[in-house]
Amino acid sequence: MSDVTVAGSRRMGINWIGLGTIIRREWSRVWRVPIQAFLAPWISALMFIFIFGYVVGGNIRLIAGHRYVEFVLPGVLMLNVVNAAFLQSTSQIYFQRFLRYIEETLVAPLSYVEMIIGSLTMTIVRSVVTALGILLIGYAFGATQMYNIFEFLFWIVSVSIIFGLLGIIIALWANNFEQLTMLNVFFIAPLSFVGGVFNTVSMLPPFMRWIAYANPFFYFINGLRHSMIGFNEAPEGLGVAVTFGLIAVLGVATWRLFSIGYGLRE
Amino acid sequence: MTTPAINIEHLRKAYRTGTVAVQDLSMQVQPGDFFGFLGPNGAGKSTTIHCITGIATVTSGKIEIFGIDAVKDYREARRLIGLSPQEFNVDTFATVTQIIDWMGGYFGMNAAQRKSRVDMLIQRFDLTTHAKKSFRELSGGLKRRVILARALVHDPKLLILDEPTAGVDVELRLDLWRYLQELNAEGKTILLTSHYLEEIERLCKTIAVIAGGKIVRQGPKEEFFTMPGGLEKTYLEATGHKADHVAAGAA
Repeated sequence: MSDVTVAGSRRMGINWIGLGTIIRREWSRVWRVPIQAFLAPWISALMFIFIFGYVVGGNIRLIAGHRYVEFVLPGVLMLNVVNAAFLQSTSQIYFQRFLRYIEETLVAPLSYVEMIIGSLTMTIVRSVVTALGILLIGYAFGATQMYNIFEFLFWIVSVSIIFGLLGIIIALWANNFEQLTMLNVFFIAPLSFVGGVFNTVSMLPPFMRWIAYANPFFYFINGLRHSMIGFNEAPEGLGVAVTFGLIAVLGVATWRLFSIGYGLRE
Repeated sequence: MTTPAINIEHLRKAYRTGTVAVQDLSMQVQPGDFFGFLGPNGAGKSTTIHCITGIATVTSGKIEIFGIDAVKDYREARRLIGLSPQEFNVDTFATVTQIIDWMGGYFGMNAAQRKSRVDMLIQRFDLTTHAKKSFRELSGGLKRRVILARALVHDPKLLILDEPTAGVDVELRLDLWRYLQELNAEGKTILLTSHYLEEIERLCKTIAVIAGGKIVRQGPKEEFFTMPGGLEKTYLEATGHKADHVAAGAA
């Protein structure tokens, strides 16, 4: 017999090597499609920033003392972070189910929490890489402000976790590619565009402002905008509360689905 | 008394569709045994294996692996099992080395252990020239070898092989038989399902026949051979077929 019977050893109750392997595997999978994973969102952001921020924005007066390109950059950045997180999360779980290699992790000594954290870690990595690229593009167009880097990272990471968890739930539920894209088409894209990417809440007619306050995307974009240019339209602390609330609800729901094997086990 | 490698008591598996694939199945596999699990298509062999390994949830009943509850203490139980499934369940774009290495990683093997084990298995299964190829580029026989190597990477005490030689050429089949016999001689417990009675006959020490989700006959191999008509007739009768009719139909 060889000396590998210690396989599955854990420290502090966690299979760290197993967790790291999930991340390594996903990193390898993402690097098979670098154009789709990174270049596409960067080019899309470049177009948004160039047209709306630079060309159109050049003819718009200052908003709350900031040039339009600086105002619009956090919104564009958040749109792409949300997309990157959701796509990463849905694709990794759905492809594992579709090609059945989810069974590799099901037969291994990995806990549900390790499987979820492994997926979310790679989701965060992809979102952060996407965000840093867009930040550089914004910098090239003169949007150089960074009000609070820690707050910036908080919003990128926490929004990635929210859409990472949402992506896992959708990927467990979906039985075809059509269903996989439904949430993005009918929920994420519309709500993110009306969440204040291009405008302030005060620009909306008064009767429509409650829609903005009821839209969670508004808090994500507003929070990121505050971290970058110091401009805030939401009540103090409400955005953070909404974010933690969503992470808690979606986290418990995802853990529950894994523990009953929904969409995973026969 | 020795703790069985596999102890299943009153296992029942019903799918969400209502289909009952396994009903009240009880069986034991002793440590060091080479256990043949026979049954017609749809009898419940793969479902039983999926319940043992965690691919399927258990509706009711108990499964223990070397005395460890495979449901309540699933992480400990799974450390002991290596599975070669009937269908290929891999990331088909990954390379041969990646597929085996990742499985070692899931089982908590460190980089040095994985390297040494992956190199050994790639050599043992004659995959050296294919190590950097993606799974989808391989022939059926080579794919089967990769799946077997993956099942062995963490050196499990219990090896479960669900039709490991299906679609494999004669040479590879004979080579695999030799290797499996070596592993069993080293002390590994092996549970094998196969539609080739010759394979069961040559390799296994104990045989169980499953039909309609239940074990209908189980015993040492010799018992099956001492019966008139041998394994084939015993198997056909146990699964509800009349051996003479089958033979006449074939003629």
